[in-house]
Amino acid sequence: MSEIIHPGAGVLYMKVGTHAKEGLAEIIERKQREIDEAGFAMWGYGGSTCFPTSMVQPFARGFAKQGRPIHLVMQKMNSRHYAEQVRATRFSVDGAMWEAIPDSINVLGSRYALMIKNLREYEDELDLSATKVAVGRNEGRVGSRYVQGQADKACLVVTEPERGNKEHKKVKIDLIAELLDPYAVFLDER
Amino acid sequence: MKSGDMVMQAELVAHWANGKKLAFIGDGDAISVCVAYLKSQKIIDYGPSLITVFDFDERQVQAIKAFAEHKKIRHLDAELYNACDSFPKVGRFDRFYTNPPWGQSNEGQSVHVFMERGVEACGYGGQGMIVIADDEELEWPKRVLYTTQKRASDLGYFVNRMQPLMHSYHLDDDALLRSCNLFVEALPGNPSRGKTKAVDKERLANFYGRDQHVRMRYIKSNRPVTLAGADPSEWSPEYYKDAE
Repeated sequence: MSEIIHPGAGVLYMKVGTHAKEGLAEIIERKQREIDEAGFAMWGYGGSTCFPTSMVQPFARGFAKQGRPIHLVMQKMNSRHYAEQVRATRFSVDGAMWEAIPDSINVLGSRYALMIKNLREYEDELDLSATKVAVGRNEGRVGSRYVQGQADKACLVVTEPERGNKEHKKVKIDLIAELLDPYAVFLDER
Repeated sequence: MKSGDMVMQAELVAHWANGKKLAFIGDGDAISVCVAYLKSQKIIDYGPSLITVFDFDERQVQAIKAFAEHKKIRHLDAELYNACDSFPKVGRFDRFYTNPPWGQSNEGQSVHVFMERGVEACGYGGQGMIVIADDEELEWPKRVLYTTQKRASDLGYFVNRMQPLMHSYHLDDDALLRSCNLFVEALPGNPSRGKTKAVDKERLANFYGRDQHVRMRYIKSNRPVTLAGADPSEWSPEYYKDAE
């Protein structure tokens, strides 16, 4: 357990790697520059397990009401994401009202984005078997059961590790950031 | 719902509602269409005498009407309706079927609302089949099953059968989640509990999940109704250059 990952903490776990033909090191450098300039960056993602309005926003708002942060905790991996580097031009919090993305922010080849700050390299371990899904129809399911197959990201609450002979499923965390209101948005390229 | 589960479910519904007037309170999985089509194609020789789907998505309603017209299925129909509004056809049906929002963030209120409409459709009589979350690991489905059975009991219904862990789903987020069929039946001589009315506002909170309140009454369709598939203006063929 650590400063970030401890019982009661809210984390959004995600595997990250090459994205839209851009290496992870390049992405991190670019995002940190954007945070320095604009105060935030948009971290693009896809899939259906962390939908902005039904998953990430209610999850993060619940913690924000208690004055507690949500950290994006990321595990590096070899990815084969070779989508075209199309820059999103507008974003929406609710999927209905759209706003232009500032010129200094570049988010490429993604359907959704997390709003982040304090992006940094950070070495830690997350025991997925000591987490529970925090929101959605799988709320309460043990993280190690949920994160498998197509589900490679999840909104989780860290729990006390179970004592017993059950195998723990620990993953290495390499990178973290803090989520920022409105936490997750829809993207559009038009 | 996975396709194999849909076939099994459609046959089951056809058998359960054989010769009966069946109301679908919402039908995102199009089980109604499967049930009607299996009979019309003579794959099975039993099924409901009438199927009416009440759904808030006009695209779904139009698609069902168009399919029924195109395939000449006279006993299948659909109406635009939101379960939060008072029910338009009280007491016209013998059976109801619903696969509602699963009420994980409102102690099953979403399920109760859809079930209540089904009960009204059957005039507080008949039987209903409710597709509802069922999971051995999670706590909320157990609570929703409990409150739903309690609400059914308050309305004069009892659980006459349950098929646990029956269905699975294709969605990434729902790979592990299962649902069951909960069958309810009215007590003999069960009296009406009053006139149908719109759902109280406080029951609409967290209807579709945490912070996902009911805001939308209908999804209206801008597409013209066509009986034979997509409108020709919506598509065009592109041929191989070397095709004869």
